[in-house]
Amino acid sequence: MDVKVGIPRALFYYQYYPLWKTFFEELNTEVVLSDYSTSKILDEGTKSCVAEACLPVKIFYGHVMNIKDKVDYLFIPRFTSISKKEYICPKFGGLPDMIRNSIKDLPPLIDTEINLRKSEKNARKAAMEIGRFFTKDERKIENAYKKALESFGEFKAKVKQGVLPSDILDKKLNVIKKSNEPELNIAVIGHVYNLYDSFINMDMIDKLRKRGAKIITVDMVEDEIIKRNAGLLPKKMFWNFGSRAYGSSLHFLEREDIDGIIYLMSFGCGVDSFVCDLAERKIRKTKDIPFIVLTLDEHSGEAGMDTRLDAFIDMIRWRYKNENNVSAYG
Amino acid sequence: MLKTSHYLGIDVGSVSTNLVVINEKDEIVDKLYLRTSGQPINALRNGMKTLYQRLGKDVKISGVGTTGSGRQLASVIVGADIIKNEITTHAIAAQKLVPEVKTIIEIGGQDSKIIILKKGIIYDFAMNTVCAAGTGSFLDRQAARLEIPIEEFGTFALRSKTPVRIAGRCAVFAESDMIHKQQTGHSVEDIINGLCEALVRNYLNNLAKGKDIEEPIVFQGGVAANVGIVAAFERAIEKKIIIPQYYDVMGAYGAALIAKEEVLKNGRSTNFFGFENTQNDFRARSIECNGCSNMCEVIEIVSNDAVVACWGDRCGKWSSVKRENQSVS
Repeated sequence: MDVKVGIPRALFYYQYYPLWKTFFEELNTEVVLSDYSTSKILDEGTKSCVAEACLPVKIFYGHVMNIKDKVDYLFIPRFTSISKKEYICPKFGGLPDMIRNSIKDLPPLIDTEINLRKSEKNARKAAMEIGRFFTKDERKIENAYKKALESFGEFKAKVKQGVLPSDILDKKLNVIKKSNEPELNIAVIGHVYNLYDSFINMDMIDKLRKRGAKIITVDMVEDEIIKRNAGLLPKKMFWNFGSRAYGSSLHFLEREDIDGIIYLMSFGCGVDSFVCDLAERKIRKTKDIPFIVLTLDEHSGEAGMDTRLDAFIDMIRWRYKNENNVSAYG
Repeated sequence: MLKTSHYLGIDVGSVSTNLVVINEKDEIVDKLYLRTSGQPINALRNGMKTLYQRLGKDVKISGVGTTGSGRQLASVIVGADIIKNEITTHAIAAQKLVPEVKTIIEIGGQDSKIIILKKGIIYDFAMNTVCAAGTGSFLDRQAARLEIPIEEFGTFALRSKTPVRIAGRCAVFAESDMIHKQQTGHSVEDIINGLCEALVRNYLNNLAKGKDIEEPIVFQGGVAANVGIVAAFERAIEKKIIIPQYYDVMGAYGAALIAKEEVLKNGRSTNFFGFENTQNDFRARSIECNGCSNMCEVIEIVSNDAVVACWGDRCGKWSSVKRENQSVS
């Protein structure tokens, strides 16, 4: 029987799953995903996690609880950096330790460090190390890594073309009742795990689509554009997400076809708290474009989210109606 | 006498349920401000009953709009032609009464908002995020604790002689700060004034952050009745604030205006069930769905043993079966 590797459907799942899946499958293991986020998963996460953690980390805990008893290994790599000279949130670096110290009866963790700060070639090293959990055949690992990169490349290419990662990963059929109004292009800035987990963001993406919006996210912006734009800052951005959020904000401002920008942040996120402010100041100073910040936390009442989305879309449509001299209140 | 066309606007909020009836000239012919008291269905039915007794024989309702956090619920009970978010309705009402308005400060029971208008359209808005400090329900609570009727709360602040600084970041800290100041011997007037200033500071730092507050400024929502808060706002921003005549029912007024526009634009007849029918027995029933681990809290609105509406499920298993009489926007 194949060895089962468990992957929590949370945090970087939304960024790297195609890479991980192919890699593990090429090593003849069976990949087991936790269920989609639900209130039960959030509940269990909140109970087992420290109170200070952000919502996405709490959800991650819930996903660990959800699969830990069904697998032989849990894949929780220690992410220190995912890009040259940039860091990511320190909670990713401490994640395996946090999990080990607060959840009992865990299967062995694959907690290899992934640190690309000095060189992106370190990714290969990490892959070799992870592969050794399952085989001594270095060439086999090498080969699995190559195939994994191919799948990952295909996934990234699709996203850059404008397909949402959640549409690819979840393979859910989107039966969205289209709005009769003209389509709006709404740019959304946020962490992958906030944007693409429809439970965390209270179905924000589908709610916007139902109101006639096409969604463009940070992940669809070409890396070179992000790099060039982020390079305009007087000092190099410390965080990987920071340069992506800021770089894509500038890109959205340059584009003529973007009708509004939403910044989706989770309450208590250190990175968001200042990157959001930086982006907001830049956006407001540069262009007269509808912009809103939406904050996520543990509340389950959707009225707040709905009211803000409704008013935001109303505001955009009202502007256009006004420009076309049609008297109507949106 | 021939019955003339009128339009009804309903705003079901967390603290108050407001009803407004306007005529074809957009003038308010009657308005009600009622306490929701945690029972929106009852508040709404009482309001409808009162309106019927006062106007029922003379007016014909040709259009209904609902708004506020209970807008869906209200729509199910009365039959609405349009369901609108409260940002849009507040802006429309303010523009009607103060056509040049550029800034709207709205503080209600649980929400506070700032709406910025430019060239007559909503340009930007913000709502309070995770904190309800400074909203009506917090003031209500403090008034109750000090045993001062909420209506007189503001006048206490105006009698203050010495400023007292109260923490305004968080309602819990504000309360403990108030208690501390009261134990050290500060007068109630000074403490209430300190609270008003703290709440205004909180509003300006959180909601109005980075936004230009330009005149004319309209202050509406239940808290606009608090003269202490109004004075604190004027001191803080050094600009004049306009309190519209119908400041406490602006959401409902906006909903009525939108309903009129909606009905006239499409030239259709109203979905209104009639005053009599709102007196039917309506009950909300909540069930926890065990279909999956989401355990959604599903709400069913039941009238005469029939389920008339349903919401709260993520998958649509319950709500999709019910009739979709209007789109929520």
